Amino acid sequence: MIKTSAITKTVTTSQGELAILKPISFEVKAGESIAIVGASGSGKSTLLSLLAGLDEVSSGDIYLDGQALHEMNEEQRAQLRGEKVGFIFQSFMLVQSLTAIENIMLPAEIAGLDNAKQLGQEILDKVGLGHRGDHYPNQLSGGEQQRVAIARAFITKPKILFADEPTGNLDAANSDKIEQLLFDLNRDSHTTLVLVTHDNELAKHCQRQLLMNAGELSEVTLSDDNASSGQKSVISQSQVG
Amino acid sequence: MTKQTLNLAWRLFKHEAKRGELTIILLAIILSVASVLSLSLFSERLQSALTDKSAEFIAADRVLKSRKPVDESWIEKAKEFNLNTANQVYTRSMAFSGDNMMLVDLRAAAEGYPLKGTVKVAEQPFAPGQATNSLPAPGNAWIESRLFQNLGLSLGQVIEVGDKAFTVSKVLSEVPDAGFSVFGGDPKVLISEQDLASTNIIGPGSRASFSYFFTGSDSDLDAYYDWLMPQLDKELQSWVSVSDDDSAIGRSIAKAEQYFLLASLLAIVLAAVSIAVAAQRYSQRHYDPVAIMKTLGASKKMVQQVYLLQITFITLLGIVIGTVLGFLIQQIVVWALAGSVDVSLDVWFWRPLIIAVFTGAICAMLFSLYPLLKLFSVSPLRVLRRDLGASLSSRFIQFLASGGAIFSLMWAYSGDLSLSAILFGSGILLVISLLLVTFGLIWVGRKLGQGKMGAWQLAWARIRRRAMDNAIQLISFAVTIMLLLIVLVMRNDMIAQWQNQLPQGTPNYFLVNITEQQLPELKAHFAEEKVDIEHFYPVVRGRFVAINDEKVSTAVSKEDEEPGEDRGREGLGREANLTWSDTLQPENEIVAGEWFESGEPLASGLYGVSVEARIADRLNIKLGDKLTFNVGSEIINTQVSSLREVNWQTMQPNFFFVIQPQAMTGYLPTYLSSFYLDKSRKSDITELMKPFASVTLFDVDARIEQLRGIVQQVSLAVEFILVLVLAAGALVLIAQVQASMDERQQELAILRTLGAKGRLIRASVLFEFVIIGLVAGLMAAFSNEVSLFFLQSQIFEMEAVLHWEYWFIAPVVGAIVVGALGIIGCWRLLRLNTSHLLRQMV
Repeated sequence: MIKTSAITKTVTTSQGELAILKPISFEVKAGESIAIVGASGSGKSTLLSLLAGLDEVSSGDIYLDGQALHEMNEEQRAQLRGEKVGFIFQSFMLVQSLTAIENIMLPAEIAGLDNAKQLGQEILDKVGLGHRGDHYPNQLSGGEQQRVAIARAFITKPKILFADEPTGNLDAANSDKIEQLLFDLNRDSHTTLVLVTHDNELAKHCQRQLLMNAGELSEVTLSDDNASSGQKSVISQSQVG
Repeated sequence: MTKQTLNLAWRLFKHEAKRGELTIILLAIILSVASVLSLSLFSERLQSALTDKSAEFIAADRVLKSRKPVDESWIEKAKEFNLNTANQVYTRSMAFSGDNMMLVDLRAAAEGYPLKGTVKVAEQPFAPGQATNSLPAPGNAWIESRLFQNLGLSLGQVIEVGDKAFTVSKVLSEVPDAGFSVFGGDPKVLISEQDLASTNIIGPGSRASFSYFFTGSDSDLDAYYDWLMPQLDKELQSWVSVSDDDSAIGRSIAKAEQYFLLASLLAIVLAAVSIAVAAQRYSQRHYDPVAIMKTLGASKKMVQQVYLLQITFITLLGIVIGTVLGFLIQQIVVWALAGSVDVSLDVWFWRPLIIAVFTGAICAMLFSLYPLLKLFSVSPLRVLRRDLGASLSSRFIQFLASGGAIFSLMWAYSGDLSLSAILFGSGILLVISLLLVTFGLIWVGRKLGQGKMGAWQLAWARIRRRAMDNAIQLISFAVTIMLLLIVLVMRNDMIAQWQNQLPQGTPNYFLVNITEQQLPELKAHFAEEKVDIEHFYPVVRGRFVAINDEKVSTAVSKEDEEPGEDRGREGLGREANLTWSDTLQPENEIVAGEWFESGEPLASGLYGVSVEARIADRLNIKLGDKLTFNVGSEIINTQVSSLREVNWQTMQPNFFFVIQPQAMTGYLPTYLSSFYLDKSRKSDITELMKPFASVTLFDVDARIEQLRGIVQQVSLAVEFILVLVLAAGALVLIAQVQASMDERQQELAILRTLGAKGRLIRASVLFEFVIIGLVAGLMAAFSNEVSLFFLQSQIFEMEAVLHWEYWFIAPVVGAIVVGALGIIGCWRLLRLNTSHLLRQMV
């Protein structure tokens, strides 16, 4: 579903060229869920932005569902996103001036679907907010807003879902609920999931975990060490690409 | 465009409008439409009222003047064009009463005269006149007070004009088309047109003037003129309208009209500034939704359509509300002025409405262009990297779009390229200087703002950090203050000039025909009666007969002119008042040559003559030309030694020709003078003049009052326009502060979160706005001075003077007002709790 080959991202600063991503090659199969973990500033979000076609690679090739993302312009990438990609963000990114249901309908309307409202209501019910459709984002709690965002991400039944720290702004109780909802919906709709997080617990729910460290990506295995004081994630690393 | 796009745009518009997100930009459009509509509607209505008022001075909207009767079919045609018509014949003739006789200005009026204004009559000479709707019945004549005096007449007696005897049935106090000559004209006699033929004074070779009066709508009048024009004989006929009126009133009205135009132009600029500010804010507030839409797959075209539609909805709504509001404001002003200024509400003008709608639409579209382009360029990556703004950074488009919009609106509206260029040019100058000053200020601020972080340092830090934003904010404040200053100072200067024109104590009586023998007696008598009378001008009546020995037959006396008359053709061969003096009269200014320095003749052996500049121009008289006058049987040859500019707007005796005294020795003059008599002593006038029955008295009180009345009305209207513009300006300032507060919200939230005290935040915001207001005021005072210099010298034909007081007032008021608005805006934000502020930021 996703295939990258030696993709890099460099930016020009006053001190010269700065490599944010060193050459990265990996593959994600259809229906697979992967987590990209790593510390702040390691390049996780940059990688996500490249994979989702929000930004352009400096070099290398990216194929999304067989289409050469690296050869597309912004318009073509937008079209591809509209057709195949769903998003969930840490800061929810809901349009403040649209109600919950209207936010959910947005991708369907952009895609030109006629039954956006009906689809929206169905999925709103599914995320348990059927009665709050007319509320504006600022009238909803953080957890509720993220549920709306998840509903929005799934309305067009995307092939790939990108989630950037989806529980990063939520408390523990809400995080669990969102986690549950996200993975349930993902499983039901056979979506390929790319999750960026620094939360190893969340990452463990994914089939594969990739560690981003100073612009380099490596495959890791997260396992629970229950021997002593509660759960602790252990990372064992193996280079990818 | 898909149904979905339209739905989305409409939904966004609906919700955002409901949530108050669009308030500022909507207010800006409403304000622009409302202020432009109310100002231009009011000024058009007022102008129409004033034009109507001044139409009284030609007794109609248009007059066709002819030296011979015109074809009856022309008048019939005018009726087909829905015009009202009337006519009158003017001529000069001798009026006899027993052994006395006098040259009179005979007017034979037909039914319908006057179409505008009123004829006033009295039952006693020099008594105040009452308006009448009638005209003298056949066989009757109404004559002016001084003819009673000169011919020793009383009501009911008979005068003869030509072959016909008339019973004097009324004292003629006033006719609307008397003109503004204050002395020297012959007394008027009004008779019925039916009697004219029987006088037998009109015949081949007689010098009569036939006036045909027309009233009707402007379009009908213009259409009729288009029909008439090809048939007019330019040598014999002329078409006169009020705008040709070169009198003091005509000029005052023309100036007021220019002022209204200026005020409306400035209102347009103010509106444009407020829309620009609001559009900028609108754009910034939509970065997130655009990034989200793009992320979710919206094409650039769809984003563009959604937001262009939204701007269109806002503009349409703004225009509708603005039109209603503008109309109401204008109505309120007209009601408030009712009684003082006679403005008809029945007249509806489409032009202001079109201009206002056009302004709203053009401003909203062109001023939103750059912010919208910026908005469209927002990267979808912003959803991950919140610090990403818009990628478009070419300010060239912004300057081109906004500059082009303002200039074309100003030009289109005024139709006056130089006025638009002056305002626009000084605006550009202001913007450039402000940019320089702002960056200079930031540099100074770096020095001033060092040290421990207090309110003062925080204010400077903010100014420094937001250099470009502050520069733009500063410019918009300064432009607003400058525009208000221009409107205010122009109003003050203009009204002061009008009032100076007719100061208290302006002579309201003129005396003519004082003989040499009467002079000492008259001076003594007036001193005894405590009436100040100073200048006595020697006058002989003479004909101006040749320039450089080439014969002329041109009227040269201002007093002989009819108002609006095509100068230099009519009144040929009339006599002029020639005077002589070795000192230059007050209100006269030599513009070429020199005043007579000594009693010696010029190099040519001829004595000098000083000629009024405009008549010199008209008759093509140059310095050094030889002018020949004929006084009685004597010929006087003179040489033009100077040209003078004369202020005809003052109610003072003025002369076209002032001759070097040595050339006039041996001529027996009569004297002419003017004096002021307070209204309360009006009844003393008969007593005062009793010993001097042969001296002719002109009462110009009515004329002065008329002039004052109009100046007062126009001044009042100008003040209302000023208030309207000030209100518009105040609203723009508020919008600007609101917009900038919005940008400060994030910073306030952070400061609050970090535990900064409300007092510190308030003080820092106060300092920041006070600094900005101070600098904006100072810069506004500077550019106001520059603009005014050009406006006053090039457009308003006034003397350009410096206005030092505003160099102090503008910065102080700027600092106070902007500072206060800043604090109010800040107070609103500080009332919200921190979590609310933070949530709003997300």
